[in-house]
Amino acid sequence: MSGRDEPIVLGIETSCDETGVGLVRGHTLLANTIASSMEEHARFGGVVPEVASRAHLEAMAPTVESALDKAGLRFSDIDAVAVTAGPGLAGALLVGVAAAKAYALGLGVPLYGVNHLAAHVAVDQLEHGPLPKPSIALLVSGGHSSLLLVPDVAQDVISLGSTVDDAAGEAFDKVARVLGLPFPGGPHIDRSATSGSGTAIAFPRGKYDDGTLDFSFSGLKTAVARWVEARTAAGETVPVADVAASFQEAVVDVLTRKALQACRRYDVKDLLIGGGVAANSRLRALAQERCDAAGVRLRVPRPGLCTDNGAMVAALGSELVAAGIRPSALDIPADSSLPITAVHV
Amino acid sequence: MRTVRTTEEMRALGAEIAELLRAGDLMVLTGPLGAGKTTLVQGIAEGLKVRGPITSPTFVIARVHPSLSGGPALVHADAYRIGGSLEVDDLDLDASLADSVTVVEWGEGLVEGLADDRLEVVIERDAEGEDRRVRLRGVGERWSDVPASLG
Repeated sequence: MSGRDEPIVLGIETSCDETGVGLVRGHTLLANTIASSMEEHARFGGVVPEVASRAHLEAMAPTVESALDKAGLRFSDIDAVAVTAGPGLAGALLVGVAAAKAYALGLGVPLYGVNHLAAHVAVDQLEHGPLPKPSIALLVSGGHSSLLLVPDVAQDVISLGSTVDDAAGEAFDKVARVLGLPFPGGPHIDRSATSGSGTAIAFPRGKYDDGTLDFSFSGLKTAVARWVEARTAAGETVPVADVAASFQEAVVDVLTRKALQACRRYDVKDLLIGGGVAANSRLRALAQERCDAAGVRLRVPRPGLCTDNGAMVAALGSELVAAGIRPSALDIPADSSLPITAVHV
Repeated sequence: MRTVRTTEEMRALGAEIAELLRAGDLMVLTGPLGAGKTTLVQGIAEGLKVRGPITSPTFVIARVHPSLSGGPALVHADAYRIGGSLEVDDLDLDASLADSVTVVEWGEGLVEGLADDRLEVVIERDAEGEDRRVRLRGVGERWSDVPASLG
């Protein structure tokens, strides 16, 4: 199959705050539309689970229609529907799964329930073409920090390590709050760090030399909080840019170090970085530097494809269709703790 | 009040508290960022013999850890991202709170409506050094006598 003969896959993502709808033909991105309930959450000063679920419900049909509009397609052009079945927030996932079932049933096309993390890997193919087999994937976001060995994104993804406490993006958000920077913390710390020094303060790097491919960011978060408290208590001004830069350096140092360790250990020459934290400029720069030194090719999707979106779900669905994988049953559940071993359900 | 010096001691205290816990109990953990709330929950999970790993629930708001020994499940919730008061429905859990032990981080002022009886745990950090002071306070009939060794 190639070009216009390839099936068109609709992808639906509702595992957290974003209602994402994507349309993909093969490895070609046709539309990627997102509605976010972040603004509503901001009004309440935080996430309200019921608001998140209701926001997904309200945004679902208009977002699908807007994606079709953008792609210049009609419902009858859709050949398959893919949806994030997990992991994520239970109530939020449920909305997407129910909608996907309804579209699949109504259109008479196959349904594919897919894994959110595997979709973060598959999306890169929309930008950089087929993923070398095998690849190593580093997925870093507000909810996940995982190192994966990916022999085949459609059927075989192996977890090599993950965070034992906080996710990397969560550490960014919490440290941002300590520094008085707005939510979400990632972009603000990245921006603030550009005028600070990454070596100004020697913050601890958890699990740096422990021989595992796991991460730990809780100790780092605590160390930053304590450091800032001590300065504040002493009546000193907190050097926000230096703290941001030094914290960020500690995170990206550990992330890239372990990612390259994984490449060496499994003799893999291709590294993919995905998830919202992949938008961090220092992570991209240090990863590129270390990959170049190690002779590893680095792939990072553009920021709009790194954060949660529907195109990534459509991309994985498209991969499953191409691989001839059997569609999911129409009674698949949403599974908030779906393990990565289940690429599709 | 208990002084806790290391993460190992915090876990051990969690395991000790776990011995008091039974299905239907609600525990509210209060303490600043990095106080050791999740570490305490790791100890509770070990004591309750539930399936791990216990990682921060901030992003997913709540996680259910089923029992490995026929006892109650552990519901580990986190109200850090929650705006407004937390209601049981908001947890969106596939578990009944009556059949589980529920521990909520950052829940002070938000989760009191979940149950009349609750065990409140406040962790404070020393201004200097790494010591933590842990205070337990029982609210309601269920906790009318928190063991003196803990409280």
